[in-house]
Amino acid sequence: MNLYKLEMMKIRLSTYLWAIFLIFASLLALGILFLFIFQMETDGNGTSEEAELFGDWNGLLALTTALTFACFSVFAAVIAAKVIISEYCEKNAVILLTYPVHRNAILGTKCMIVCGITTVSAFISNILVISIMYITAHIWGIMPQMSTGHFILTALLSSILMGISSSAVGIVSSAFGWKKHSVIATIVCSVIIVCTITNFIVISPSNIIGVMLAMSAVFVAIANFMYHVLINKIKKMEV
Amino acid sequence: MQTIVDVNSVEKSYGLTQVINHCSFKIYEGEIYGLLGINGAGKTTLMKMILGLQQIDSGRIYVLGEEVSSNPEYLSNIGSVIENPVFYEHLNANELLSMHLCYMQKKADISKVLHLVGLGNADRKPISKYSLGMRQRLGLARAIIHHPKLLILDEPLNGLDPIAITEMRRLMKKLANEGMSILLSSHIIGEIRHTADRIGILSDGCIKQEFFVEEKVSEFGEHFEDHVIGLMGGVKI
Repeated sequence: MNLYKLEMMKIRLSTYLWAIFLIFASLLALGILFLFIFQMETDGNGTSEEAELFGDWNGLLALTTALTFACFSVFAAVIAAKVIISEYCEKNAVILLTYPVHRNAILGTKCMIVCGITTVSAFISNILVISIMYITAHIWGIMPQMSTGHFILTALLSSILMGISSSAVGIVSSAFGWKKHSVIATIVCSVIIVCTITNFIVISPSNIIGVMLAMSAVFVAIANFMYHVLINKIKKMEV
Repeated sequence: MQTIVDVNSVEKSYGLTQVINHCSFKIYEGEIYGLLGINGAGKTTLMKMILGLQQIDSGRIYVLGEEVSSNPEYLSNIGSVIENPVFYEHLNANELLSMHLCYMQKKADISKVLHLVGLGNADRKPISKYSLGMRQRLGLARAIIHHPKLLILDEPLNGLDPIAITEMRRLMKKLANEGMSILLSSHIIGEIRHTADRIGILSDGCIKQEFFVEEKVSEFGEHFEDHVIGLMGGVKI
């Protein structure tokens, strides 16, 4: 039995694809704007302290990665709310729990779907935004060029780590949403996490891989713990 | 005759309220067993315990000789409609039943079952556009499509018009004749009387009395319902 295929049948993927596209378009618009902020801020007045973050590729990469992390963390919580919380906490649970499939297998599949969709879409979105920004800067000649090989590696690694962190936020939020049996609580929880954590990504733009690695390790550990908490609750769940 | 369900001295409490109290009964192969009780008597709780949706405080339940436990494999032999059936609204009947068969790891002719429940012409229509009666029929189609040995129906005739009720009764009789055992709950005596072979009166958390419908109908005639009401309330008229 292909549980992934069956779980995917239950969601309207097109809705999420549209959401991913809208997030990407918004991030791209902001990214292009960031490119020109440094130029506008430094025209004839020297460099302001606030604008320095926009003045090199490390800073821009950290900024776009932070924004992508924020958007896709909330996106992950929305999918988790739909795929996990609304399924188990609403009337569908009566059907879901009468299938001859172990409860932890179904939850595991659902979590993998949330993490898979979020990680892949966040990674692709961030890479595309950075790539388009890089090409635009190259065409307009508005930013100093960076060693291409090193920049690509940094962008790839930070994007994949950011994708993993975003999906982990989705799982952590769903565990809190479960406690309240609420879709809204799941989403609000992700917003709170995002508001608290996102600033850390831009603390040290020159060491973004280190920051993202530490952040994803912490989030994956918490998400793993929350996943086991969820499994225990679902195993004992009564409807 | 093979025992399909064996509920053995089962107890269930919600906090301090004991809902099921040393309840025991058996359902045999090809039998329609009617569970009759007033609202809140514990009919749905009992059915949910058989399905593993509610934990059992004490006692045991066996389905086809296998004890109801955390291993969900026995559920492939059970079809159920508990309370108002719920669906994935964006799917159509064909997609929903095909998904259900995949979960149950069984194969069946979907269009044949949809015709059987009177939804032959609505198989491509999104479920969100179904009327209450159509949803009940689809719930029944989902419950029987994987050819379960036991069918659990919690007030399955709610929302159906008189013609549909008659059709559903005929369908239940047909399924029972083919060897399927049916556990049917209701608080409406007429509904159970015309469908069930045997009735168990659930009162004070346990089966107060069990009887074959035909025997009691011939004994009490037109006073059958009065007699059963007395049993349901614990007072014999």
